[in-house]
Amino acid sequence: MPNRWRAWLRAIHRDIGYLAIGFTVIYAVSGIAQNHIEDWGDVSYKTTTRTFAIPAIADGVPDAVAIQRVADAAQLGMPASSLRAGDEIRLGYASGAQVTAIGTQVTVQSRERRAFIGLANWLHKARGKKAWKYIADAYALLLLYLAGSGIFMIKGRMGLRWRGAVVIATGVAVPVLYVALAGGPGSQTTHEPDEVATTGSAAPAPAPAPAAAPSGLKPLPPDDE
Amino acid sequence: MARRPHRAALNYSQVSNQPDLDRFPALRATEDRRSFLRKAVVGTAFVAVGGVVAQLLGEDIVLPARADGRPRLPPGQHAIQALKPMGGDEGDGKFETFRLKVHGHVAKPFEVDYKALLGLPQVEKKADVHCVTGWSLLDGVWKGVQVAELARLAEVKPDARYVIFEAAHGYTANVPMKEATADNALVTYRLNGTPFALDHGAPVRGLVPDLYFWKSAKWLTGIKFVTEDQPGFWETRGYNNHGDPWREERYA
Repeated sequence: MPNRWRAWLRAIHRDIGYLAIGFTVIYAVSGIAQNHIEDWGDVSYKTTTRTFAIPAIADGVPDAVAIQRVADAAQLGMPASSLRAGDEIRLGYASGAQVTAIGTQVTVQSRERRAFIGLANWLHKARGKKAWKYIADAYALLLLYLAGSGIFMIKGRMGLRWRGAVVIATGVAVPVLYVALAGGPGSQTTHEPDEVATTGSAAPAPAPAPAAAPSGLKPLPPDDE
Repeated sequence: MARRPHRAALNYSQVSNQPDLDRFPALRATEDRRSFLRKAVVGTAFVAVGGVVAQLLGEDIVLPARADGRPRLPPGQHAIQALKPMGGDEGDGKFETFRLKVHGHVAKPFEVDYKALLGLPQVEKKADVHCVTGWSLLDGVWKGVQVAELARLAEVKPDARYVIFEAAHGYTANVPMKEATADNALVTYRLNGTPFALDHGAPVRGLVPDLYFWKSAKWLTGIKFVTEDQPGFWETRGYNNHGDPWREERYA
């Protein structure tokens, strides 16, 4: 049985391939989404922002009346919470929607999670998910098996003797060439920061403390140092 | 078993480069695969070349230098028109639950909610920001409270040397006192007259324009003054500890 090991290799490769399909879809789709987050934003959510103008609300208008005017204009029902501070009126809704009125301009921000990509992205970010971290490690090991065993799946000219070798070399060459052409992480000019930057500078000379602290500051106990 | 015709018997004027798939159907799969691979290679090359050309033909804006003599755009940066969302573990984005803790090496640590934050002395600063991935947003008008004002209120001790910007889910960014207490370093809640969207750090984020934008922590929860450096999330993941855009301090 000279090639019995190859039969086993293929059988295990096949079953691990089946096992990995779900994980691969999750990681590939969320990986593409993460790669393009600069252009597409966070595709986990469908985000909606709309702005419109309302008549100016004079400073003398009572807070409750001012808040009601903004809520009426936003047409989202009664807010779960509200605030008037500075030149802002803010409303928060149970749905997560946030309404902000600054002067005469009202901004309504709302969003809802997209089912599949939202979950895929959540799973991809392993931070904070203890068990999933190890599941993801196991998946990575399975991928390594798929890659390693794939090399030896076929013998002869279609395998490592010719075609397989050429394709493997092409695949390896892509990152190698990229690093060679781009220069890798070390290609960025990194100057030695000056002394001030590396060590930080001392705090500015403390200004005289105000006679009375502004309202709204809740004192805290000192940190343990 | 069919025998190959002798070379001398072939009429080369009738020989085609393409196999006769009707006579040899078993070759069809091979031809289909070759055709697919050719198209895939051509398509990939087209996309890659197109991307490179688009990069090369990108706008090359010449801007006057800054008042401090440094170029307006740091090396390796290009200007864009609006902030780009760069990900991160988002906070809940709600003004109702927002709390900012000002603490550490200070005499009077304190905490403010959103309303109290807006009750502190407010400033509006025009500032450029520079993302380590290569984009810069110029001339943003940011509104908020100067970190220096928070330092003053908390009575930071003279030997504090770093400020740690603390954010949702344990994210931190370390900034030397020089940049953190600069005139343009803010705890900010508004850009160009508009509140931040959740993916840009709502309701309140940090702003340290003199360093790469990852130092301007989104979903801010705390400002901590410390005597010893405490490298933060990205600084412990291969990014430069300082992050000066004009020195291209991108990576460790």
